[in-house]
Amino acid sequence: MTLRERLQAWRYNLVPDHIIGEVLTKRWTDNAIPFLALIITVAVFGSLIPGFFKLYSLQESTRQLGEFSLVVIGLTVVMRGGGIDLAVGSIFALSAFAAVASFFILGAPVWVAFAASVVTGLAFGAINGYLIGYLRLRAFLTTLVTFIIGRAVYDILIVNYGSAIQMSSATSDIWDFIGDSTFLGFSVPILAAFVLAVITHVALTRSRPGWHVLAVGGSRRSAHNAGIKVQKTVFLTYVFSGLTASLAGFLIATRLSGAGPGTGAGLEILALTAAVVGGNSLGGGRGSVAKGLMGAVIVLVMTNGLIRLGYGTGTNQMVLGILLATAVTIDIRWLKNRHKVLNEVYVAPVYLALGQAQSALPDGGSPYALNNQLAAADHIGLGALEGPEDVILDRDDHLYCGTRHGEIMRFFAPDYTRFEVFAHVGGFPLGLAFDRDGNLISCVGAMGLYSISPDRQVKKLSAETNRSFTSIVDDARLRDPNDLDIAQDGRIYFTDSTKRYDAHDWALDSIENRATGRLLVYDPKDGSTKTLLDGYRYTNGVCMAHDNKSLFFAESWACRVHRYWLEGPKAGTAECVIKDMPGYPDNINRASDGTYWMAWLGMRTPSFDLSLRHPATRKRMARRLPQDEWLFPNINTGGVVKFDDQGHIIGTLGDLTGNAHAMVTSMREHKGQLFIGGILNNRIGRFNLTAANPDWTANDAYWGRRA
Amino acid sequence: MIFDPLLDLLRGRAITIPPMDGAFRPNTALDDADVLAEMPAPDALAWHQGQLIASSGHDIIALGQGVIARHNAPVTALATHGDTLAVALEDGTLLLGGQSLTTPAPLRCITALAFGPDGVLWLANGSTRHQGQAWVADLMEKNATGAVWRYDNGQFTQVAGGLGFPYGLLPDATGVTISESWRHQLIRLQAGRQTAVLRHLPGYPARLTPAPDGGAWLTLFAPRNRLVEFVLQETHYRHDMMQQIPRDHWIAPALASGSSFLEPLQCGGIKTLGIHKAWSPSRSYGMVVRLGPDMTPVSSLHSRANGQRHGTTCALQVGGQLYVAAKGGDCVLTMAVAVAGAA
Repeated sequence: MTLRERLQAWRYNLVPDHIIGEVLTKRWTDNAIPFLALIITVAVFGSLIPGFFKLYSLQESTRQLGEFSLVVIGLTVVMRGGGIDLAVGSIFALSAFAAVASFFILGAPVWVAFAASVVTGLAFGAINGYLIGYLRLRAFLTTLVTFIIGRAVYDILIVNYGSAIQMSSATSDIWDFIGDSTFLGFSVPILAAFVLAVITHVALTRSRPGWHVLAVGGSRRSAHNAGIKVQKTVFLTYVFSGLTASLAGFLIATRLSGAGPGTGAGLEILALTAAVVGGNSLGGGRGSVAKGLMGAVIVLVMTNGLIRLGYGTGTNQMVLGILLATAVTIDIRWLKNRHKVLNEVYVAPVYLALGQAQSALPDGGSPYALNNQLAAADHIGLGALEGPEDVILDRDDHLYCGTRHGEIMRFFAPDYTRFEVFAHVGGFPLGLAFDRDGNLISCVGAMGLYSISPDRQVKKLSAETNRSFTSIVDDARLRDPNDLDIAQDGRIYFTDSTKRYDAHDWALDSIENRATGRLLVYDPKDGSTKTLLDGYRYTNGVCMAHDNKSLFFAESWACRVHRYWLEGPKAGTAECVIKDMPGYPDNINRASDGTYWMAWLGMRTPSFDLSLRHPATRKRMARRLPQDEWLFPNINTGGVVKFDDQGHIIGTLGDLTGNAHAMVTSMREHKGQLFIGGILNNRIGRFNLTAANPDWTANDAYWGRRA
Repeated sequence: MIFDPLLDLLRGRAITIPPMDGAFRPNTALDDADVLAEMPAPDALAWHQGQLIASSGHDIIALGQGVIARHNAPVTALATHGDTLAVALEDGTLLLGGQSLTTPAPLRCITALAFGPDGVLWLANGSTRHQGQAWVADLMEKNATGAVWRYDNGQFTQVAGGLGFPYGLLPDATGVTISESWRHQLIRLQAGRQTAVLRHLPGYPARLTPAPDGGAWLTLFAPRNRLVEFVLQETHYRHDMMQQIPRDHWIAPALASGSSFLEPLQCGGIKTLGIHKAWSPSRSYGMVVRLGPDMTPVSSLHSRANGQRHGTTCALQVGGQLYVAAKGGDCVLTMAVAVAGAA
């Protein structure tokens, strides 16, 4: 091995590149940029302004922050529902005026002032909501109009009643407490914002109305088609926004004990900037309270910081404008390109040097030498079948297979020309096995382990196992359950081939070649699923040995077959019995003569083997070429291989013409015939075995003869 | 986007190839054409003494008559002028009207011969590093050692060098048009100056022959393939591949493909439900292009990824009939030009 190759092996096998792709699949990565901006903002202004982190300074800032956050939370909900609310500033001001007027002019108690404030907010929110939700006016123009009108009303009121408020001598301890004091060291606005943030977050993410808002924001039409009351949902978002703005208005009224011409001026721009900078999408359907709060802190720290550093309003406005523009640009570019970035970085290949394989060429002189025998197989279901990965026969000789449409098909003995849909499971049914009671157990790709009873009842047995500690993407979920076999005690041993790719993308896993395949066991007694082995390169076929003391399982991309011991001195350990095969092994099943059949889903090619030793090349390939152009293992040629307990190869069956059984993913011996399936094929093959026991069936061999 | 050049530094530029569109729009004309004769690897075609002749390995075969000449080395090019037949062999021998000429040392990879209207013989020498069958190594080594020569008055003179495998010649009264395979283009050599005539071909161009009513017939012997273009930029992988893997199983263009399971497979080439997709990426292809008098493509005939008539190295029009040598398909095809022009 050259130094360069050794370095590549270290670089690609020790550095976990795949984490980048997995992190990017998480929705919370959307928060990364605003969070970074938050830290930078606080750090920069915290170090520039002396006393920024002093307790009093923080308390005064947080009072303002609490009020502002309330407004931003409301706006976030509106934006998540696909709208925009420019009227928050005037609602805020009018609510403050309502509270102040009730308290100082009318001499009403504090709770009346509070109620007046809230009613004002709800009323304005309802007007917005009615116009936009029910009359379907444009959100931007509508709230712009209510903003202008509300502001005008406020200006008239403040001119006429401003002096009356100032001259009033009404006082109240509660009023002063809300405006000035702290509770457990926290001011009332910050507590209010905290409580409302928690409630809103839970409501948005965990409740039906919250999901409706998200659905409406994501796609109004789809939400409508799904039966969601779109108009009402939109209406309610504006009412909520009015409510939060009015709460903030009440709080500022108590804090300032008055209202002036400048109250709430420019608040809508501040709030909008905060919501967008936090990462809430202007297009709707994407956003969270946490994002809104982060944006609120960023904007407030920045504007207050600039003022304290001595910059004027003009500079402040300009910074806000630039901030908004940057955030909108990043928002749009990120939203548009996130999946592209993910596509480009997801494939993270590792280094693997496969051993030199014996030749499988027909004249290669090795036991693996392929031939053309399978070309003579009869076809079953030609043209009616799509993707029979595994095939199996029941005690009445009927033939079953899965299809890519998620159905289990049944072909009727003896001629297998009539067929029916035995059961619809969904997913992609792969491995099949009959248990002692005649239930058909299937590994369903993208779903899990399922059982289908003779009277066609479909039941989920398992869809998850224990999660590993270091996983980023939840690896408890079974992503690509592939094949299974059943022990005498009823335990079901099965494989989950990869944690990295979905079942329909199984072949992509070969490009990456990362060892994430598992062997699992399902215990019917308590319904539990446990991981027995982890870290194989695409675990595939499983077959109980004839003596039931061990099982064989295939490791496809490493071209190996392993034996896992269930009892005896080596119980719980696996050993490799066949390695460096010239083909990629798939399902394994018993043969009548005490040996085993193994399917080859494809053949190794020298160019692909070489690429496994060049992980950097494969990585660049995945980035620079579209998927259709990627170098793949040759899965256009496969075959059937027979091997014995010791792992000696006895013989092969192939179809080098590629016309009938180009790739083979399974085979099942039954009464002297071999039934052949292929995951990309359009037929099942039936091949007459010359030297096989014509009475042998797997059901008898596993569960004894029928009484 | 303006950021793309910056991002390309991180992610690598996407590799693109010219689309088969417009005049190159795919069809199945070559697969639908009649087979005139089957023979192993027919390469060059010529019209000699009223009959069609083709080179096949060491032999020259007259269609309908059988082998008319068997040489000591594989025949690599044919040309006729009146009754004079010029034959180039892989060992560098040039037979002109039955007379054997010894060529200068660099001429060991003669890929095309053509007589100008003035009777001067033009020679294209693909490479000075590789011969005949090893053309694929010349491509994967990214060589550009090809040259065009003239044989005039008993003198061989080189008129252009540094070419990426010249494979076709079309001389006229004022100069010569050359197909330059590794650069996927046609160039014109006139008065000592080279100019590109037709660039960005979707395949590797082979021989050029004149069409009686002006213009020319161009064959492409293999398609451009994005994976191959990618491997050409991957130095380490490419060198290891050339060192460790038999040439037939390289990631490289081929005259025919799919016969061995050891050949590379691309994702799009996976047979699904018994179907080999016609548009899938392929190492081999068959394509004949009709060029107008100004050397712009007018129409084309194809044998697509799932076809058999691949590795088209020569097309020759005689009267109203077009003959095509499919070197990878082991056959000579024929069709009426009227049909070919409509394709």
